[in-house]
Amino acid sequence: MSVSPRRLRAGALALAALAIISTTACTAGGSGGNANGGAATTLTVNTSFVLKTLDPGRVYEATGLTAVHALYDTLLTFEGSDVGTPVPALAESYETSADAKTFTFKLRSGVTFSDGSPLTADDVVFSLNRLKNIKGSPAVTVSELSVSKTDDSTVVVTSATPNPNVPVVLAMPSTGVLNAKVAQDNGAKDGEDAAQGDTAQQYLDTNSIGSGPYVLKSYEPESQVVLEANPNYWGDKPQFERVVLRNMDVQTQKLTMQRAESAEISLDISGKLLDGLPASLQTSGVQDTVYFLFLNADPAVSAVTSNPKFNQALRAAIDYQGIAALYGEGAAPGAGLVAPAFPGTLPESEASTRDVAKAKALLAEAGLTNPTVTFNYPAITYKGVDLGTVATKVQGDAAEAGITLELNPQPLTTFLDEMRGGKSPLGFTPQSLNYPVADSLINNMAPGQATALRSGWTVERAEPAIVAAGEKVTETLDLAARATAMQEWQRLMNQSSPYIVLASNSSTVVATADLTGADYSAAGWQVDVAAVGRK
Amino acid sequence: MTTVHNGEPGAVTTTASRPRRTHPLLAFLAKRLAITAGLLLGVTVVTFGLVNVVPGDPVTANLSDQALNDPATVAAFREKWGLDQPLWQQYLHYLGNLFRGDLGISQQTGRAVLDDLVRYVPATMELAIPTMVLALLIGTGVGMLAAVRNGRLTDQFVRVGALLGLSTPPFWLSLVVLYVFFYQLGLAPSGGRLSTGFSPPPTVTGMYTVDAALAGQWDVAWDAAQHLTLPVLVLTSLTVALLVRFVRSAMLEVLQQDYIRAAYAKGLPTRVVLRRHLLRAGLVPVVTVSGLAFASLLSGTVLVESIFGWPGVGQYAYRSATALDLPSILGVSLFVALVYTLVNLTVDLLYGLIDPRIRLS
Repeated sequence: MSVSPRRLRAGALALAALAIISTTACTAGGSGGNANGGAATTLTVNTSFVLKTLDPGRVYEATGLTAVHALYDTLLTFEGSDVGTPVPALAESYETSADAKTFTFKLRSGVTFSDGSPLTADDVVFSLNRLKNIKGSPAVTVSELSVSKTDDSTVVVTSATPNPNVPVVLAMPSTGVLNAKVAQDNGAKDGEDAAQGDTAQQYLDTNSIGSGPYVLKSYEPESQVVLEANPNYWGDKPQFERVVLRNMDVQTQKLTMQRAESAEISLDISGKLLDGLPASLQTSGVQDTVYFLFLNADPAVSAVTSNPKFNQALRAAIDYQGIAALYGEGAAPGAGLVAPAFPGTLPESEASTRDVAKAKALLAEAGLTNPTVTFNYPAITYKGVDLGTVATKVQGDAAEAGITLELNPQPLTTFLDEMRGGKSPLGFTPQSLNYPVADSLINNMAPGQATALRSGWTVERAEPAIVAAGEKVTETLDLAARATAMQEWQRLMNQSSPYIVLASNSSTVVATADLTGADYSAAGWQVDVAAVGRK
Repeated sequence: MTTVHNGEPGAVTTTASRPRRTHPLLAFLAKRLAITAGLLLGVTVVTFGLVNVVPGDPVTANLSDQALNDPATVAAFREKWGLDQPLWQQYLHYLGNLFRGDLGISQQTGRAVLDDLVRYVPATMELAIPTMVLALLIGTGVGMLAAVRNGRLTDQFVRVGALLGLSTPPFWLSLVVLYVFFYQLGLAPSGGRLSTGFSPPPTVTGMYTVDAALAGQWDVAWDAAQHLTLPVLVLTSLTVALLVRFVRSAMLEVLQQDYIRAAYAKGLPTRVVLRRHLLRAGLVPVVTVSGLAFASLLSGTVLVESIFGWPGVGQYAYRSATALDLPSILGVSLFVALVYTLVNLTVDLLYGLIDPRIRLS
C-alpha cells in the first residue's frame, strides 16, 4: 500500500482537526469558568492578586486585606462604604479620654475563635503588641500605641501623643485579633524581639486563627484563596458558605463579568474599563486615589523644579479637566491631596484650573526660557489607567506653555528607589491611603517629613504658613474641626508645595445583579465579603 | 601500558596493564553531570551579581511607603533577610545553604523556595506536556506535508500560516482566544485551574487532571481538563508555528539526498520512503528545536499564565523579579538552568536512537 501526498495531507489535516477537537470540543457546555459543584453557595471575587501574606501582622496588600478582614475580627470596624464612623465589632463600646491619648474598649461577651475557644483581652493585647513589634509594613500605624488590659473584658490603648484617630486605626485588618495561644504554639511572638523571633507567618498563611465570619480553607497566592463560613461565628452568619478570591487579569475580569449571571464580583474594573459593561451589572465606587506630580525643591537636584515660579507655572499649564477625562467614569480634576472618599477633602469646586498665559508669564518671571526637565514615572497601569498616557498628556500641556518634559518611564522598583533617594527632579505617582485617615499625609508630606524630604522639601524651604497649618491639624482633637484644618492645609499646599494634584480616581466594585451589600470600601478591604448577600 | 620499578637500581620492568574501559554512556553522563554542576554554580554567581547590580532595593519593593519612612522597620527587614551583610557574605551564606539543599525563604511568599517550586512547577508541566505532544503531532505532520508539496499551494499556505504564528504576540492571541471561545461561544472557562466550586484533588503529581483521575474524582478531572483548553490551545499554536518551519526545511534537505531518489527509483511505496527514510533522517534537527521549545514551555510562559490566571513558574518568576526577591529569583534561575540541561541531555541521547551514525561517532 502506498501513501500519496494527497493522503498525507488528508492525514495531517485529520490530525490537526483531532487535536483541536480534543482541546476544544471536550469543553462544549462549559459555562465560563463558574460551573461548579455547590456553586449556589459560593461567592466568586475576581481580582488581580496583590497578595503576599494572610498574616494580620504583616498584611498590607489589597487582596490580603480583603481576606484578612473576613478572617479576623477587629475591635471596631466600618459598615458599607462609610469610612467616617467606626462602629463596634469585638468591642461593644469604647471611651476616649479628653486628651485623646487613652482609649478604653469594653469587649463583647460570648465571642469565640473559630476553634471554639473564648476570645479574651489577653488575645487583644497579644495581637496588638505583636503587630507593633514584628515591625512589618503595617506596624507604623501602631508604633506610638501601647496596650494593656484592666480585666478579661477591658482593653486600654494609650497613644504617646494625642491622636483622635486611634479608633480608626483599630478598625484596620492588620489589628485583627489572633488566638494568642495557638499563635504562640506556632511561632508567634509579641515581645520587643519579635521582629526577628516571630516565625508564625508561614502558619498564618495556611491557617486562620481568628473569630471572623470566615475561616481559611486554602491559600494559593498565585491563583486563589478559599474561605468557608466559620461555624462558631458569634455574629450574623454570612449568606455565602464559601468565598473564592480568584486571581484574574483585569481584561479577563471584564470579559468574565460580561458573561457572569450570579454571585460574582470583580474588584479591578474601573475608569475606562467600565465602558461597555452590561447595564444589568451593579457598580459601587468611591474616589479614594489621587494622582500627583512632585517637583524636587532641592536646587542641587534641579535648579528648574526648585524655582517657585516654575512650580507655579507648571501648575497653571496643566489641563486638569482633560486629565480627569483620561481616567473615565468616576474621576475628577485634582483639588487637594486628600481624596474625596476621606474626611477633610476639598470640594470639587476648588479643583485647579488651567491658565496657559499665566504659566508663560510665570516662566518669564522665573527667568527660564524653554526649560527642560526629566519626568520620571512608573511604567505601570494603575486601576485601569496607563500612567504613561497621563504623563504624555502632562507633557503636551507643559509644552504649550514652553516647558519641555522628557518622559522617563521606569520599572516600578527603580522609580520608587529613585524617588526615595530624592534624585527625581520631577515625578508622577498615584497615592492611596493605608488607612482612611488623611492625617498620615501630614505625617509624611508636610515640610521636613519623610516623604517631603524625598522632594528636598525641608522646613526651611517651606512657607511658614504651611508648617503652621500642618501643626494645627495635628493639634486639633475634634474630628470635624480637624477636617476643616486639613482643608486649610491643602489650600496652602496648592499654592506652593512641591505637589501638584492632577486628578482623583475611583476604585469600583462590579457585581452581578443578584447580589446585595457589594459596596466598595476605602477602608482597605475593598469589599466586605461577609456582608454580601443575595436579593 | 605502565612502567614500574622493581626496587633494584637501574632495573625497570615494563608490563602490560589491563585497559580500564568505562562505558561510553557512563563517561558521557559523568561529563555532563560535571558540566551541569559548573553551570549551576555559574548561574548562582551571575544571577546573584545581576540582581544586585540592577537598580532597585528589595526593601523598597517589599515594604509599604509608610513603612519605608520608619528606619526601625527598614532596619528590621534588612536584618531579617541578611541584606545588612556584605554581598560576598550573603553569597557564601546562600551557597552554604544550597549545598544542604536549602534554596532559602521567599521574601514574597514567606515559604521555602523549594516548596514554592514544588507547588508551581507541576502547574506549568500540566500546560507544557499536552502542548508539546499536540505540537509535535501537528507540527511534524504539517511540516512534512509542506516539504513533500514544496512550492505548491499547500506549501505556501503552511509557510504563511507558520510565519503568522511566529509573528503573533502570545498575549494578543490569548486575548483573542478568550474573547472567541469564552466570551462569544462560551465553550471554555476564562482562566484558573479549576472552577470555584471545586477543591483541588489530593496532591500526588501536582497536576490536577492526573491527581483527580488518580483519586477517582472524575468531575474534578473533567473540570481541570476544561481549564487547560485555552492556554494549551494558545501555546500549541505558537509552538506548532515554530516546529513547522524546522520540520519543513529539515525534510526538504533530506528529500534532496540520493538515497531518497534511489528509494523511489527502486519502486518503494511513498509511505515507506516517507516513514522509514525521510522522517527518521529529518528528525534530528526537529528533536533539537523541540527540546528547546519544551524547555522554554517548562520555564514558564509569563504572559499566557498571567492572562489565564495560571499559577505556574512564569508567574512566580515574574512576581519574584518585580519584588527583587533574590532567593526566589535564584531558585527559578537554577530550575530553568536544570531544565535546559536535562532537556539537552535527553536530546543528545535521542540523537543516538534516531540516527545510528551519531551513536557510532
